[in-house]
Amino acid sequence: MAEKKQTAKKPSLKQVGLSEQGLMDLYTNLLKTRLLDERLRKLFRQGRYAGTYFSAVGQEATTVGPTYGLRDEDIIAPSHREIGASVTKGVPLDVIIGQVYARRNSPDKGKSHPCHYGYRARGVITPASTLAGQTIVGTGCAMGFKILKKDNVVVAFFGEGSTSRGGWHEALNYAGIHKLPIVYICQNNLWAESVPATLQAGIRDFADRAKAYGFPGVTIDGNDVVLMHRTAAEAIERARKGKGPTLIECKTYRWYGHSEIDPADYRQAEELENWKKKDPVLRAEKFMMDLGILTTPKREALVEQIDQEIDAAVQVCEKEKYVEPEEAYNDVYSEDFPVWRDEY
Amino acid sequence: MKKVTYIEAITQALYEEMERDEKVFLIGQDIGLYGGVFKATKGLMDRFGAERVIDAPISEVYIAGGSVGAALVGLKPVAEIQFADFITPSMDQIIQQMAKMRYRTGGSWTCPMTIRVCCGGEVGGGLYHSQINEQWFFSQPGLIVVLPSTPYDAKGLLKSAIRGNDPVIYFEHKRLYRSVKEEIPDEDFTVPIGKAAIRKEGKDITLVAYGLMCQKTMEAIETLEKDGISCEFIDMRTLRPWDRETILESVKKTSRAVLVQENSKTGGVMAEVSATITEEVFDYLDAPISRVCGLDVPMLPFAPPMEHFFLPNAEKIVRVVKKVMEY
Repeated sequence: MAEKKQTAKKPSLKQVGLSEQGLMDLYTNLLKTRLLDERLRKLFRQGRYAGTYFSAVGQEATTVGPTYGLRDEDIIAPSHREIGASVTKGVPLDVIIGQVYARRNSPDKGKSHPCHYGYRARGVITPASTLAGQTIVGTGCAMGFKILKKDNVVVAFFGEGSTSRGGWHEALNYAGIHKLPIVYICQNNLWAESVPATLQAGIRDFADRAKAYGFPGVTIDGNDVVLMHRTAAEAIERARKGKGPTLIECKTYRWYGHSEIDPADYRQAEELENWKKKDPVLRAEKFMMDLGILTTPKREALVEQIDQEIDAAVQVCEKEKYVEPEEAYNDVYSEDFPVWRDEY
Repeated sequence: MKKVTYIEAITQALYEEMERDEKVFLIGQDIGLYGGVFKATKGLMDRFGAERVIDAPISEVYIAGGSVGAALVGLKPVAEIQFADFITPSMDQIIQQMAKMRYRTGGSWTCPMTIRVCCGGEVGGGLYHSQINEQWFFSQPGLIVVLPSTPYDAKGLLKSAIRGNDPVIYFEHKRLYRSVKEEIPDEDFTVPIGKAAIRKEGKDITLVAYGLMCQKTMEAIETLEKDGISCEFIDMRTLRPWDRETILESVKKTSRAVLVQENSKTGGVMAEVSATITEEVFDYLDAPISRVCGLDVPMLPFAPPMEHFFLPNAEKIVRVVKKVMEY
């Protein structure tokens, strides 16, 4: 596929491949991701939880678009900036916030660092912080689906920086050999922490890497949620039918630092301002308003409704306790092997 | 009862577990068409097909990490790392994914799986076909680490590993593949993980070893017993979680201990065993604990005289035991 830098043409529902309600749901997930992300940033600044926070504001379309429409048993293999995938997969908001707060209601019971979202019931694998880790493990899930003859798929998310790691290449190489049911989403946000994409690879379009592995690679506008969804949905369908993987590179941008402790002063203010003009949420809104599906009052009502949902979920987490410290001894092994406990 | 070699016992375990549970599959380099570089997987591709006996590309990262993923969706992967020397690229996946999956997900995701690792010296393998590297995995919470020394244990521990609920690094010693043979039951059996085997009871001194060093220790014991030293010998079999109770009880009885390890001394398994004996039963000791280990140099220099010089053997063990007895 030589297709590159597509942009959505004149809006029509047919082109989107979604019903009016479907498009509304897609947008709602996008908006919810934005509002939740901004709230979590604020709560960090207010000192409501420990560690740090990895904001995905600016690049929400890259996770919401591909995740929308997946089945519960389909696997999400995320990195740490995929809050949109959890929201769209239907992970309850108090579970997402509980993970960031490291409280008892977090699926990992407070063992993992903030933004390492996981939720078994919706197929979201809690990531390790070692980059490309979930690309490799996710490829293994796809291998498993193929061996089990299931028609489930895996969607693996990573940044352009992760594609420099050796294991990333081993995984894509293997997926190409066996035509595994996986879609690789490369969120090229131009910066791997502070290292620009130009120092990450000698190519401009990271989708070109797919050529080496014998499956299609496409580069698209990652701030167009409709295009993100449509492109990913086609690739997912292809994967489900046993036709193998696709690498989708989405050009996007994170508005804030790598995490909340990073002022991102390695970037030019102008670069940020230009990307803010391409805000994926505003673009989706314009698209929907042009279609006549969304109006300003409808949008305001939706914002209010989501804010209330977030308020309620934050309240739950504020009241939730941490686990007892002795919980540290659990989940090392199955119950077959209790760990040794020294007393001091 | 039939006499089988250590490697035949491994092949049998794989065959029987694949017959028993269709979720078990194998992945590794040269394991399919070729049947493994040492023939441990001989005939398995013919019987179970290329979907369950997968010839992997030269990708140790993927072999380990991909197996973790397959385990997450319900399969029981048995991966093979052809030589322990080549396991280093897999370390990221073994340590960060396999060992920590249960922990970092609060138990919501688990990856029961086995990685078979062919290891060990005294085969003329030189620097890159002789390593064991068990100490790296031994020090990693979340992993089970085993290293059998007999065909019976090789089969029984591999079955326990495959049937278990935890990730296991299953070391198999290539020097033992065809040099040990014993009768094992025809019927299905397993060997429990986490339990050492008292190979010989005695009252004067406790000797502890695992893997190839069990043979060397037994050889030394023959000489020592002739000289009137009654030796108790424990084969650890499982390195993590190691059987503290069996070893500590034995040392309480004999009051002396010599620990034998093929790998280099510093930071090795026996350093931990030694420290634990000192912490827990110091009052029972009549002499300092001694270790007989491989040299503290890269394992294993190639030229035969250097290889021999590196490795612990019966003579070295006898000398150290006598010194401890004379203390």
